[in-house]
Amino acid sequence: MPEITETGERAPALAVAGLNVDFGRGRSRKRVIDEVSFEIAPGEAVGVIGETGSGKSTIARSVLGLVRPAAGSSVRVAGREVTGLSARELRAHRRTGLVQYVFQDPQRSLDQDLTVGHSVAEPLLLQGVLGRAEIRDAVRREFEEVQLDPALAGRFPAELSGGQRQRVAIARALITKPRLLILDEPVSALDSANRVKILELLARLRSSQVALLFISHDLGSVAGVTERTLVLYRGQLVESGATAQIVNAPEHPYTRLLVGSAPTLSAGSIDRVRRNELRDELHPAG
Amino acid sequence: MIKTVLKLPSARIALVMLAFIAFITVFGPLLAPYDPLENTAQNLAAPSAAHWFGTDYLGRDVLSRILAGAPLSVASTVLVAGIALVVGAIPGILSVYATAVFEWISLRVVDTFIALPFLVFAVAMTALLGNGMVQAMIAVGLLVSPLFYRVARSATLSVARSQYVEAAVLAGATTGWIVRTHVWSKVLPPIAISLATTLGVGLVVISSLQFLGIGVQPPTPTWGGILASDLGYLPQQPYAPLFPTALILVTVLAFNLLADAIRDAAGESGRSLVGAKAAKANRARRLAASGYSLTPSKEHA
Repeated sequence: MPEITETGERAPALAVAGLNVDFGRGRSRKRVIDEVSFEIAPGEAVGVIGETGSGKSTIARSVLGLVRPAAGSSVRVAGREVTGLSARELRAHRRTGLVQYVFQDPQRSLDQDLTVGHSVAEPLLLQGVLGRAEIRDAVRREFEEVQLDPALAGRFPAELSGGQRQRVAIARALITKPRLLILDEPVSALDSANRVKILELLARLRSSQVALLFISHDLGSVAGVTERTLVLYRGQLVESGATAQIVNAPEHPYTRLLVGSAPTLSAGSIDRVRRNELRDELHPAG
Repeated sequence: MIKTVLKLPSARIALVMLAFIAFITVFGPLLAPYDPLENTAQNLAAPSAAHWFGTDYLGRDVLSRILAGAPLSVASTVLVAGIALVVGAIPGILSVYATAVFEWISLRVVDTFIALPFLVFAVAMTALLGNGMVQAMIAVGLLVSPLFYRVARSATLSVARSQYVEAAVLAGATTGWIVRTHVWSKVLPPIAISLATTLGVGLVVISSLQFLGIGVQPPTPTWGGILASDLGYLPQQPYAPLFPTALILVTVLAFNLLADAIRDAAGESGRSLVGAKAAKANRARRLAASGYSLTPSKEHA
């Protein structure tokens, strides 16, 4: 796996260069992603914000190979070019588990007829490297990693709460030890209490060298997890920079509008502090 | 799934009924007290100790003919359901994953089968391939297959575009894996329901074909054939159609009960239903152990 570049440096977890995506054919062809370029270093957490229809999910789907980019686009995952792979090569690439994806709605992203343990184990079962007992152990470890009781592995998704289901979805994504984790609106389907718990879990993941691409229209959520943010507007990258800078001193008019429209603008920094204060009040030390 | 189905009383009743039908299908010809083709002078005799179900218009023992006709009657309906399942369900699932050309062609073929008049097609098939049981079964099986195609395709379509299938694709799953792991469990209950329904319907349709002289030819005994001949002598033996009708009814009822049980036990709602029944049974056991009852006693009523 070409994770080390020619100069001996570790390759970025994700390098997107000149990404163009067109939808439709002939006269109805429309460019939905226009010359988007960015990189994510190993272990870095990057947010992508923009309104609905700005192309956030399309970028994610291009990285995952679910959408075919226009000619000339480049998407490199851990140093490997993934555009132009054949179906067989793409399947083999996916089985490495280098990139994983967490869907917005855990209710729909987990098979209701499989136990959640089976769903979490599926990527390892597909890899076919580990034995049954080893996979069971890995599932148990991953449940503990996302702060779920391993005894829940035998339950069906309908028997879990929304927050627990999203933790299961995250455990499924982490079980292959990915270099890059793409989260597409991972908290928007959750209530505020579960949203906070999942954001805390994601913030904790940053110490495990997993690069995060956090897609959201909620600037508060992005600010709570990421250190760098990309602002997408009508398929174009209009601004990028440190998350704190995007939140506090946006430059592009669209970013200013986005920041100004956010009802919980201060959630990124101040709310986290407030949250900690509330937690201290709830569970006083000693 | 099978364990869940078996927890339902209706499924257990259906299986007892089907076990009875299977028993007379296998051992019926051996249990027949007389030769089912042997004519006697006792035409249209009433039920007696010698002939429990009486005799027909040629003096043949009706019980012997019903028992001897069981294998052919049941085998023919199983064959119809099998043909319909293979010809309908497999292309139905494949139409979602195969090429657009296959999808288009299979849809048009199914539309054609739906548009064909049933009896005309059955008569044409037997005229083309010869009047035999297998030819008649193929005709009926082909005409029933669109039901399986539609059910399988519809269930597969609803699953194929789901996020958990996309998650499996992103983990490197092949189409075969997706069908085995995610699609099959969703498609199986509606297909099983259709199969159980078709087995019931198939028996009635086969009987009606035999009634029209298509398929199995006299004097070979079948339930449909016995029913057809009995209907010609209603003034003399008004009770005679009851015997073959009862067996057809039991078979159809058993398959329909099984179909209902499969429907009830499928998916999350099935697990909830079975879980609720188990909880109720446990509660009743606990109450009974502590001297209480869920139903009012006679003293309190």
